Amino acid sequence: MSRSTGSRLWIGPVLGMIGIAAVLWLAATGRLGWYIHPRYAAFTVTMCAVAALGLAGAASLLIERTRNGPGREADAGRAGGTVAASVDRHGRPARRARLAEQGGWLLVALACAGLLIAPPATLSTALAQQRQLAEGTSATSLPAAPGGPGTAPAEAAGDGDAADGDAPTVRDWAGMLRQNGGVALEGRRATISGFVLADGTDAGSAAAEFAVARFAVSCCAVDAQPVGVPVALAGWADRYAEGSWVRVAGVFVANPDPTSPNAVVLRPAEITEIDAPEDPYVY
Amino acid sequence: MPSTARPARTGPALRIAFGAAIALALLAALLAVRAASGALLPGLPAAAADLVTLSLSVFIESLPFVFLGIVCSTLVRVWVPERVIDRVLPRSPALRRAALSLVGVVMPVCECGNVPLARGLMMRGFSVAEAATFLLAAPILNPVTILTTYHAFGWDHGILIARIAGGFAVANLVGWLLSTHPEPGALLEPRFRAACGHEHAAPGGRLRRSLEGLAEETSALLPALVIGSALAGAIQVGVPRELLLVLGAHPLWSALALMALAFVISICSSVDAFFILSLGSTFMPGSIVAFLLFGAMMDLKMLALLRTTFRGRALAYLAAVVGLSCLVIGWGMNLVA
Repeated sequence: MSRSTGSRLWIGPVLGMIGIAAVLWLAATGRLGWYIHPRYAAFTVTMCAVAALGLAGAASLLIERTRNGPGREADAGRAGGTVAASVDRHGRPARRARLAEQGGWLLVALACAGLLIAPPATLSTALAQQRQLAEGTSATSLPAAPGGPGTAPAEAAGDGDAADGDAPTVRDWAGMLRQNGGVALEGRRATISGFVLADGTDAGSAAAEFAVARFAVSCCAVDAQPVGVPVALAGWADRYAEGSWVRVAGVFVANPDPTSPNAVVLRPAEITEIDAPEDPYVY
Repeated sequence: MPSTARPARTGPALRIAFGAAIALALLAALLAVRAASGALLPGLPAAAADLVTLSLSVFIESLPFVFLGIVCSTLVRVWVPERVIDRVLPRSPALRRAALSLVGVVMPVCECGNVPLARGLMMRGFSVAEAATFLLAAPILNPVTILTTYHAFGWDHGILIARIAGGFAVANLVGWLLSTHPEPGALLEPRFRAACGHEHAAPGGRLRRSLEGLAEETSALLPALVIGSALAGAIQVGVPRELLLVLGAHPLWSALALMALAFVISICSSVDAFFILSLGSTFMPGSIVAFLLFGAMMDLKMLALLRTTFRGRALAYLAAVVGLSCLVIGWGMNLVA
């Protein structure tokens, strides 16, 4: 709020507009879900639209001020005396304010690069490895859905063939597997798609199982946690690279490997390599 | 002091419309840049892309709440008549703080939205102690947070009750401590303190003051949000989570570890219950409570936002008191359980 700086108050409106442009574009292209849970989409877009109008009003005020001459910059009138006094008392001359202002514009540039220039992306599958729990159970430890414990949607539609629509997602299956070790699922057929993730069991020659995993998002991508369904396939590591996407059709069976933490696994009948889907998360 | 030459009070509506049109044209230009750049660049390496994705995710998640907070703050500062506030709130300082810590019930803005609101309260003439009490209590004592915590944990292990009661207690404890400070104004960032001082003398119509406030508050808070989001994203990529999680079931260490996790991950108080539930059911209830209390009051992103308002030393003090209180509650629960 130094007198010497005229552009400081522009930083907020410009940063805001950059953020709003990024959000609106992501929403328009259907990619807002890559960053936040879809339940916030309407609220986010609405608030951004409201803020766009408000910031446009603020900008018109700033334009008007600038036209009235920088010397009459409202900062000078607004509490100029108080600010200058308190700033000086703490040994923060105008130079410091100028630095703060330059820093602010640097952040604007950073925000531009991140929000407007960098190509939008979903989380890499490499991150899934890092986010696993030490015991290797995290891949199957997520509750079914935020609807409450024990939500087992589509219990009847179990043998669905597609990964989308009303058919259970990886997250749904993982939730059902958690209940009593998933014994209720034995004999059920399932088709799931996700990326290949070592699920903590030994990936050597005797590698008996991997997880078909997805990131589950409960609020935003920051809290994304891999969830997965264990698939029994000896020597899988030689055939499928970790992080590559597959569709697996198979049937749930009691795990033949007694040392595995997973009591029930999917025995694959068919595994197809696929491209990463446009919307890779489960919610 | 304040009344050197100001521009004409309000220009013709046409001029305002012209200015707003320029601003919206800027928005359209930014959108065009975004649409054009998407296809131009090749993808980044995985770690860099994740850093950007995580930072953007924190930023985009918080942005509407910060906007909402600024709108509410403007309403409180400019549009609510002083006598209404005086009539509604009790006179005794302790009761006043207790009442303010419940304001979140009617104004469900999560923690990042509360920063502008707390700033607005102080500009409005509320004391530092009162604003801080509101700031710390509101993210926990609001219907959204209470409902999601209930969904995640039900009545199990008293987690819900401990979160509600603990949030109220810690916020009011901090408020009381701050109220004993001989010169509370010294806790504030000088620039913000000066802005508080002149608020009452602010000239101009209400609309004009609102728009000015919008420019002021976004210019103060959005840079801080960019810094906070970038830091939160960087730490997510740099620090593997299991470092914090392997500390296991020790009553003290696990509470500390989960508090550190809450600080780093910087997620919104309205959904953190689901997050901690998703990390596994092996944590001790007290540690979960420490996570739920501390995360809602203090985290990386919040520190960046609060730094616009409080001096560094005051902030360290605030964080220490809140941290210790949460630790004591969590550790205590672990020992009893």
